Amino acid sequence: MSIQIRHVSKQFGNFRALNDLSLDIDTGELIALLGPSGCGKTTLLRIIAGLDTPDTGKVLVQGEDTTDLAVQKRNVGFVFQHYALFRHMTVFDNVAFGLRVRPRSERRPAKEIRERVNRLLALVQIDWMSDRYPDQLSGGQRQRVALARALAVEPRVLLLDEPFGALDAKVRKDLRRWLRRLHDELSVTSVFVTHDQEEALEVADRVVVVNAGRIEQIGSPDEVYAHPANAFVYSFLGAANRFDGHVSGGAFHAPGLWHPMPGMAPEDASRAIAFARPHDLEVEHHIPGTAGLSAQLVRRYARGANVMLELEYEGADNPIEVELKREDAERMQLEPGQTLLVRPGSLRVFRQ
Amino acid sequence: MARGQTFVATRANTEPWWVRIALTVIALGFLAAFLVVPLVAVLVEALRKGWATYLAALVEPDALAAIKLTLLVAGIAVPFNLVFGTAAAWAIAKFEFSGKQLLITLIDLPFSVSPVVAGLIYVLLFGLQGWLGPWLADHDLKILFAVPGLVLATMFVTFPFVARELISLMQAQGNDEEEAALTLGASGLRTFWHVTLPNIKWALLTGVILCNARAMGEFGAVSVVSGHIRGQTNTMPLHVEILYNEYRFAAAFAVASLLALLALVTVALKAFGEWLEDGGVAAAERAKQVADSSESAATTSVPADARASRTLAVA
Repeated sequence: MSIQIRHVSKQFGNFRALNDLSLDIDTGELIALLGPSGCGKTTLLRIIAGLDTPDTGKVLVQGEDTTDLAVQKRNVGFVFQHYALFRHMTVFDNVAFGLRVRPRSERRPAKEIRERVNRLLALVQIDWMSDRYPDQLSGGQRQRVALARALAVEPRVLLLDEPFGALDAKVRKDLRRWLRRLHDELSVTSVFVTHDQEEALEVADRVVVVNAGRIEQIGSPDEVYAHPANAFVYSFLGAANRFDGHVSGGAFHAPGLWHPMPGMAPEDASRAIAFARPHDLEVEHHIPGTAGLSAQLVRRYARGANVMLELEYEGADNPIEVELKREDAERMQLEPGQTLLVRPGSLRVFRQ
Repeated sequence: MARGQTFVATRANTEPWWVRIALTVIALGFLAAFLVVPLVAVLVEALRKGWATYLAALVEPDALAAIKLTLLVAGIAVPFNLVFGTAAAWAIAKFEFSGKQLLITLIDLPFSVSPVVAGLIYVLLFGLQGWLGPWLADHDLKILFAVPGLVLATMFVTFPFVARELISLMQAQGNDEEEAALTLGASGLRTFWHVTLPNIKWALLTGVILCNARAMGEFGAVSVVSGHIRGQTNTMPLHVEILYNEYRFAAAFAVASLLALLALVTVALKAFGEWLEDGGVAAAERAKQVADSSESAATTSVPADARASRTLAVA
């Protein structure tokens, strides 16, 4: 089912959670709402579910206005960050709950419910512990029960609020891949909220970057990563070195930095911020007298197959981070205390 | 509190033997001096003149009337507080509204006001010289010096018991399960019945038991509004006082022993509830251990804090 969000705003006291936000979600899509905590992404999800009501604006599901529809009537599956399993019910009863509370006229016979629950438990690979209680399960298992419970009612849309937020890194990665496969199998329209850019980029068909109650950018994971619309999106989607400066004469200027900007009129001038990912920066040993951004190497540490460098230079608030291949770092014999010349291989400039 | 868990003695939590013995002796001595000895004394005094006198003191018409009245008053006040306390705790824990803090403070008020003052409030309201007194007299309604007054005063002093027991527990449990039930299509009533109530039932039971104990034992507030009409408006505590003042010690102690017995039954019920709950925990723990040992290492162990918090709530 498609979802249309039209000019939705929501205020909590003095805090503006959502600010005139509009978004179209297509049938069968898996969408990630990505943003820092407090950006309004969870509020938006709760509004789609009907757990919160917007101050202004509308939510349409399959063209039908559901803004004033009660939660119970919306037929959404909602997966909570902390699972929200019914702690006094077994796994089986948890999953069966949504089927059993239906009005008598719509309720399926007990045998059918049992079969359906067993099928779902098999789908999420926990059928062998259907008579356990939630606190006898690990976090990953609980979240899969929560997912089975949400899917049991055959929801029109599946909404997941930081579904893997409370799990450890390894389980999280497995579940992520598993969710993607499950979605490909069931293709129910799904929206999930996350603050983890890696998760959003890995799992979603489209990523919606949200900040301060507004949408900063919508696009495929490749699009938002390779072509961030603005400084916020760039810095939120990965490690970023920031340089404050200005553009003039067809180039970006910052202390020790100069970067040509092809296609820019020479008389065009304004303040600007430039970003470079750690792996976009190159370093070489500083030879006195050479122009460029010279910085002191203060720390060197391993990151997998690569080596991370932390460099400081005068006038910088944050150290520069550079990611190098290990053999390059070995060859250059890099040690803390050395002065290095930093050269951006590529630089992304946003004018202000 | 957490009887379901095993206590592991380590160097960090083991005191020298003399400290342990001293602490135990102090605790037990205190209990003996202030709880056991008085209770035993009440029983001994009650039975001093033999069983016949004891029973006679209990079946005497005034005593029987007092017992019936006490049961009646508790029977009205406790269910009322059960409903009110649950509703108030539900509202406070699950919803955001202005005036919430005021409501919490008001719920605690009966604990901080002297019961005598609580009684006087009703005299001021319903007494002949009170605000509503003349109107009540005109309509031939009796509240003061009658059962309604006793019930009102008892309700006032027992107001906080159920609500206080539930509020912190419900706040700790949060809204997630209720919201999950709603998204799954359950109505508000069904959600309360199938999701909220099972999560709070032990705390609710504790609250009701304590509320009942206080309702039966209340003296101050009830004394002010009762009017001390023998066989009509005397509850058990008031009856005990009258007997005592008339130097009928054996009878006074007999009725007092019955009151004390009610209190003991209350405490025993509470302990039984906890035992049931702990039994459930222990069974679940055993099931988990069996399951874990047969399971691969892929399953990470489960934090016990959920159980611990529930046990805590009962304790």
